[in-house]
Amino acid sequence: MARILIVEDDRDLNNAYCIILKNEGHEVALAFNGQEALKKVQNFSPDLILLDLLMPIMGGLEFLQHYNRPKIRKNVKVLIFTNMENSPEVTQAYKLGAYRCIIKSWTAPHNLARVVTEALQAPAAAATA
Amino acid sequence: MPESHAIAPDHLPSEQRAEAEALFTSIGDGAISTDAFGRITRINPVAQRILGYREDELLGGWFPKKIIAVTPDDTVVNLIDRPISKAFLTGHSISEKMHYRHKDGRIIPVAISVSPILVDNKPLGAIEVFRDITLQEEIDRMKSEFISLASHQLRTPLSAIKTYSHMLVDGYMGKLTATQKQSLRTIIGAADRMNELVSTLLNITRIESGTIAVTPKQVQLYKAAEEVLKELSLPAADKAITLSLRCRDKSRATIKTDSLIFKEIVTNLVSNAIKYTPENGKVTVTVRPRAKDVLMQVNDTGWGIPKYAQDQIFSKFFRAQNIVKRETTGTGLGLYLVKGLVDALEGTIWFKSDEATGTNFYFTIPRKTKQAVRPRRRRPTVSKQTTNESN
Repeated sequence: MARILIVEDDRDLNNAYCIILKNEGHEVALAFNGQEALKKVQNFSPDLILLDLLMPIMGGLEFLQHYNRPKIRKNVKVLIFTNMENSPEVTQAYKLGAYRCIIKSWTAPHNLARVVTEALQAPAAAATA
Repeated sequence: MPESHAIAPDHLPSEQRAEAEALFTSIGDGAISTDAFGRITRINPVAQRILGYREDELLGGWFPKKIIAVTPDDTVVNLIDRPISKAFLTGHSISEKMHYRHKDGRIIPVAISVSPILVDNKPLGAIEVFRDITLQEEIDRMKSEFISLASHQLRTPLSAIKTYSHMLVDGYMGKLTATQKQSLRTIIGAADRMNELVSTLLNITRIESGTIAVTPKQVQLYKAAEEVLKELSLPAADKAITLSLRCRDKSRATIKTDSLIFKEIVTNLVSNAIKYTPENGKVTVTVRPRAKDVLMQVNDTGWGIPKYAQDQIFSKFFRAQNIVKRETTGTGLGLYLVKGLVDALEGTIWFKSDEATGTNFYFTIPRKTKQAVRPRRRRPTVSKQTTNESN
């Protein structure tokens, strides 16, 4: 099982994803904005990051810009979880090395678990975008 | 002082000349007149203020050289694309939005209207009236930002409602009875409808209020369509529907258009196709590059559109009876929105449908879409040839 960092400012959704992924046997850490996530990646060393885009203090795109710096990002896939489909932010997230973008309001828990499993099993992501 | 026949020809009585000049000077927008060779003969105080030049710096100069038109990224606009050139060439009034370079280098967005002055069909000059639309553009940008933020904020609590309801159904919080599960599925269905309604209404608001901005850039249509299909793969998988994407010549499928509007059109057509296709069906998106445009096709093996309903498919709130019986959750706004978005990209949309085999939607996107800050003030039009929908 894997170590997954959930970065989501909405506490209800953060809690829900935590329950779903723990139920799948994963070890989960939570962050509520990009700044907290940057601190967590140092100690928690996640195998996968679930990242919201629109968050206070530091949003998902800014997090990716910092995370892409040499020596910080390892071969960790980042799944974008957002409700801003077809937005410039999603296009930018792909440019910054996001592995896949998932629309929250279209995704049932069993699909979340499936997407996470697929991402973990897929070949390693590039170190930077 | 150059000749001033463009505004107040010398042969006019002095009272009429004075009246014409006073009228020109007091126009509330910027106004510049030229002679038949495009040399500046008059420039009113508002034009001097907008452009930052004094009258004596411009009078007698060649209009296209003195008044520099640029793109938003400060590339000089070709002479042939200037409204004043078009007015001289066609003999008609031309209205366009453009950017002028201020004397201090700033780029000023302007709305221009230029008319040739014709006497006995001979051009004597032209008058250009323009106004600074910086504030209007800023308001448009803020409106778009608000709509985007409102959309996101409305959907976040809906996502929580849907996720927790799903978790209850899936047994994350213990076993439920069949009746309890059914009640939760009703909540999920309602959240889905609300989600769909929020995004459709916000998009329609953008189109009908004219605040939808068309920003053309080089777009790889195959790649853009692929991203949309990735996003829709989960709802498709829920119904065991196979999504596929085809393109004969990917290298020719890169065109200058608005990527986000294009993806919004494909998202709507494909999610419609998924919604109105029975389980184990197929939805195929095809990208066909052609000489002047790219033809997009969205094909499904769904329930199809009855013949009697085909004329009304792009109308607001219309839903075909065969669909209402099977699927109660549609808003009847999806294809109305799609038509408006295709219009915004200067494309055309039509369809072929059969209740036995499914529906094919086609739309074209021209290889070059014009930039427009507020491109559509009109509502999406409905033409008989292009009417249809599978929902």
